Amino acid sequence: MKTFEEKWTAWIDGELTGPELAEFEASLPDKAAAEAEKRDALNLGVFLKQQLQGRTMGNEEFFHHQLRERIAADAGGADVRESSGTKRAWWPLGRLVWAGATSLAIFAVCTVFVLREKGPSDQSQYLSQILNARVDPVVSPNATISMFESKKDRVTVLWVDGLQSLPSEYATK
Amino acid sequence: MQRRSILLLGVSLALMLGAAVSAPASQIVWSGLVIANNVAQPEPVPPELNRIEETLKELFGYNQFKVIGQSRKTLVTGSEDWLASSKYFSLHVDSKEGNAAGYFLNLKLFQEKNLLLETDAKLSKASPLVIRGPQVGDGQLLLLLVVQ
Repeated sequence: MKTFEEKWTAWIDGELTGPELAEFEASLPDKAAAEAEKRDALNLGVFLKQQLQGRTMGNEEFFHHQLRERIAADAGGADVRESSGTKRAWWPLGRLVWAGATSLAIFAVCTVFVLREKGPSDQSQYLSQILNARVDPVVSPNATISMFESKKDRVTVLWVDGLQSLPSEYATK
Repeated sequence: MQRRSILLLGVSLALMLGAAVSAPASQIVWSGLVIANNVAQPEPVPPELNRIEETLKELFGYNQFKVIGQSRKTLVTGSEDWLASSKYFSLHVDSKEGNAAGYFLNLKLFQEKNLLLETDAKLSKASPLVIRGPQVGDGQLLLLLVVQ
């Protein structure tokens, strides 16, 4: 069942025929006004068709040539980007290997230095050392001082002789 | 890219240098005033002297080592001082500086208020320091410093 608007459009386009056309025209309240409106609509359609036709291209070949060149250039750029993308993927790994090798080399040099410094030839730095010792000559005029290291437990001894002897009560806590 | 490599290299170097030049961790120095003498039934040596008990016996010829004063000091900065004392003796220790090799100490042994002995020494972690002090009764006063 067509609506009035559909029948109206079909009538203007001349698509209504037979009893349907008669029935529609009979239903129009003012047929003269409708006919005038139909003419205006048809005139407008003709006008629009005349005015909105696509303009013909004057330099069609040149435009196509430019377009093809642009497409070709874009395709080439994509190729370049793809190839540089491959390089990007390769370079980080290369640099990483280079950095790793350099770090290992520096580590090896540092290790050699550290081992040389802490080698067995310089074992004395791990032994305690007496740098100097003094006793009061007035209080202990006969005191003598000597120092030595016991290899067994790496004990360093400062041996003081001649200090004044004290009674046993001095041994209390 | 280059910046990342430099960063990586820098981090590696920092780690290596950090490991090579590691700062000394805080350590405990045990300082003891010990009376060494010979007795029929010697008491066991204090645990701090277990490791060097035989050496002490060989060096000094005594069979008992009795602690009459002690101090256990945790060195954090390496520049600290402390006192180990008994009733009549006191050992004043002044640590000047410390590094991985050990600590530079100034030691003063007092008998009450009298300075009997002063010495400067480098105390290493793996090497105890023993000072033979005055004769006390039938024994000997020993000063011991051990890094634990």
